[in-house]
Amino acid sequence: MTRTIPEDPPAPDESPSERFVALLEAHRGILRRIAAAYCRNPEDRRDLVQEMTAQLWRSFPRYDERQRFSTWMYRVGFNVAISFVRREAVRARHAAPGDPEILVAGAAATDASPGDRDLRLLERFLAGLEAFDRALLLLYLDGQPHAAIAEVLGISETNVGTRLGRLKERLRRELDENA
Amino acid sequence: MDLEELRERWQEQDRKLDELRRAGARAVRGAAAGRAETAARRAGRGIVFELVLSLVPIFWLGSFAADHVRSPRFFFPAAALDVFAIATVVRLARQRAALSALDWAGPVVDIQKRLATVRLGRARLTLWTLAVAPLLWPPLLIVALEGFLGVDAWAAFGAPFIAANFLFGAAVLGAAVWGARRYAGALEGPGFGRRVLAVLGGGSLAASEAALAEIERYAREDGAAAAAG
Repeated sequence: MTRTIPEDPPAPDESPSERFVALLEAHRGILRRIAAAYCRNPEDRRDLVQEMTAQLWRSFPRYDERQRFSTWMYRVGFNVAISFVRREAVRARHAAPGDPEILVAGAAATDASPGDRDLRLLERFLAGLEAFDRALLLLYLDGQPHAAIAEVLGISETNVGTRLGRLKERLRRELDENA
Repeated sequence: MDLEELRERWQEQDRKLDELRRAGARAVRGAAAGRAETAARRAGRGIVFELVLSLVPIFWLGSFAADHVRSPRFFFPAAALDVFAIATVVRLARQRAALSALDWAGPVVDIQKRLATVRLGRARLTLWTLAVAPLLWPPLLIVALEGFLGVDAWAAFGAPFIAANFLFGAAVLGAAVWGARRYAGALEGPGFGRRVLAVLGGGSLAASEAALAEIERYAREDGAAAAAG
């Protein structure tokens, strides 16, 4: 299932900032999902969403309305997020042992239903992947087709299929081990 | 449960989260573009400020060197400092230009490769600056004393003192590199001291090189997959 939000052409009297806010609002979930996939710390997540929004606004004059806004937004979002987590200070906090949110998530996973536990495992699996594979799996989980994933990442569809196959296999093994 | 099922549950959970957040987001809706615009303007002002700040010493040193063109003992230290300052600013400007020409909406692997190249350049520049800084102390002493106080360091302290300072700078540099390599791993956390040790010890450069190599490997695997497909 692919989730797409119809993008109406801009109204004649709509200013660029109104258009930007409307599109951002319609696709706000993308930023939230990217931030959640790349940052565990809530403060980092807020900073990352702000950075992605700022970069989207800076890049907006170059946005071509013929292109799907979600694809454009994913590209900017992932580029900002990957750069963000590569910064050493954030990475150090990012992987800090004893992060309260990790501990809460861990506790919740123990009490949750088997389905919820699988979802928490999936989130943990996603968080453990290297930056590009994380983007690839997130796009897949968001319901993007292989062609769209290939377009966002700039790799071939064959490579998307190959990598997804490997990730599915790894995830299946982890799920089995934790069953 | 396989990945297809998990994907459906993931999207279901996500829809619920989106509904919750959408209600809360309405209140801040109008502020998003405003905040983004402010952040972009602040970043732009920062670059201009940095450039102006870098140009002041270049012009001052150039002017000092021109005034002392007939006094090699002042001209050469000032010229060495000016060449160093110009080289640093040119490299910084080139990095800035590469960053501002970057289309963040480009394919992720390609953009990350370009960013990693810029980061590698920055790591090399920082290492070079930190490494050369102790050696620049004697010419800085000569130029600053003459330029600001009208004191001739050669006459006041003598050539042996200046040569000793140069040797001391070289010794400090050697000790700093040795210490950084030995103790870089001992300090924890994201502090300034740890970052300086990481740069001097070559850790930052190695990390930047590793990041670029990782991206290149990812791109190469893409080529291999395409050939196999």
